[in-house]
Amino acid sequence: MSKINVQNLTRDYGSGKGIFNLSIQVEQGEVFGFLGPNGAGKTTTIRHLMGFIKPKTGSCRIDGLDCWKHRDLIQKRLGYIPGEINFFDNMTGIEFLKFLSDYRNMNRSTRVPELLERFELDPKIKIKKMSKGMKQKLGIAAAFMHDPDILILDEPTSGLDPLMQTRFIQLITEEKRKGKTILLSSHIFEEVERTCDRIGMIRNGTLTAVDSVETLRERHMRTYRVHLDSPELAECFANDFHGKCDGNTVTVSAKQSLETIFMNYYGGDKHA
Amino acid sequence: MLNTALYKREMKGSLKMLVIFAAVLSMYVSIIIGMYDPRMMKTLDSFYEIMPELMASVGMTAGATSLIGFMISYLYGFVLLVFPMVFCILRGNGLVARYAERGALVALLAAPVKRRTIAATQASVLISGILLLDLYTTGLEIAVAQVCFPNQLARWDLLKLNGALFCLHLLIGSICFLASCIFSDTKYSLALGGGVPVFMYILQMLANTGKKAEAAKYFTFFTLFDAKGIIANESSAIVGALLLGIGAIVLFITGIVIFCKKDLHL
Repeated sequence: MSKINVQNLTRDYGSGKGIFNLSIQVEQGEVFGFLGPNGAGKTTTIRHLMGFIKPKTGSCRIDGLDCWKHRDLIQKRLGYIPGEINFFDNMTGIEFLKFLSDYRNMNRSTRVPELLERFELDPKIKIKKMSKGMKQKLGIAAAFMHDPDILILDEPTSGLDPLMQTRFIQLITEEKRKGKTILLSSHIFEEVERTCDRIGMIRNGTLTAVDSVETLRERHMRTYRVHLDSPELAECFANDFHGKCDGNTVTVSAKQSLETIFMNYYGGDKHA
Repeated sequence: MLNTALYKREMKGSLKMLVIFAAVLSMYVSIIIGMYDPRMMKTLDSFYEIMPELMASVGMTAGATSLIGFMISYLYGFVLLVFPMVFCILRGNGLVARYAERGALVALLAAPVKRRTIAATQASVLISGILLLDLYTTGLEIAVAQVCFPNQLARWDLLKLNGALFCLHLLIGSICFLASCIFSDTKYSLALGGGVPVFMYILQMLANTGKKAEAAKYFTFFTLFDAKGIIANESSAIVGALLLGIGAIVLFITGIVIFCKKDLHL
């Protein structure tokens, strides 16, 4: 059974906003990328999974448990990075993490020191004085501190500089190797491309495509046959452009980046 | 049922406000008890003769003969109603609605803690605050009275009176808490949680002033707090206080249930 299972979820906010008949399955040990423009319904879906809002129609299950009814049971093994980090302003980072571990009633040692070191976060500052990036790092520490099996990450790298984004991708890769189930919503193609097994594209509340990263690339891969004047020239061309040489003819394939594929899915409608 | 870590954190958050309100109450309570003096009574009664409606509207009536009767007239009609009410409004709003509005609730919900536990903890923080404030007031009243007028204060009467007052404060607190649970927007939470008690108090002021407006007393829960009746052991006054307490329990539970069922767009 799927670790995360969203079935025919609909939430109509009116005037085309919301999510419509959305179904997603994420398997154990899989990293699922949830890609879509702003306002597409990514956060709404995640709110359902977190048990913040009750499904009107359809269902959400994590580990076979209903996300609304059993939200507290699910949360034991779940880590969450919210899209917007607004923690208690008047606490320092250290106080906040200490509070969370008491609040969660955690006995065993946490991953906090390791995470703080990894992301070079100085947590002695009051949260309200932290920059966007620092708050984001604190959010990451809060989500991973109890070493959860399932991770729901809503635009986890927003506000992080490229170096820290890379470190975050490393963290995700490590977690994936440990068999964690991860749902990652993002705008950043590189982070999705480098970490995810499958990608779901959402637009205007509907899932437009779900495929593995490879399939998506293959589907949108174009192949060209180029005739050149001489076999020598053809060989050079094949070398330069990673093609296959056959006499005067070279076959080259253009691997499109995910971003281009993404634009193919979403960009077209601008003219409509 | 309750979350200790959250309770501790929120009580710490109440502390500053509790100290401020305790300071204000200390000032009023000690000044007013200190004013209990037959000669001073004449001055106060003359105030009453000059502006009977105004004095009556805040529960101050002339001719109190005992220290506790004097306190009922000059403390239990305004000071000990309005200041704890302001505390309830501010703290009640801050315990749920403000977190929902600012999104800080995410950190509380994204943890293996039931919503019921979160709401019950926040309610108990408000109740604890009210209890501390009322216990402090009681201790202060006894201490000030003992210093100024040894053995003139009927302590058992005072305890009964403050028990009833606590029930009234609980009801005010429960209204504020309910409003805080209903709305995820502090604007509306404050409007309902602050508006209802303030409006009820204004009705009470109206009812106190005169015969024509006296019917207003049927529309305000403040009527259920009958200080003189409590001292006189009137059963209607005791029932009134019990009703306030029961109403408070019902509203607190309603608030918790609403918080458990509502959608939180965090």
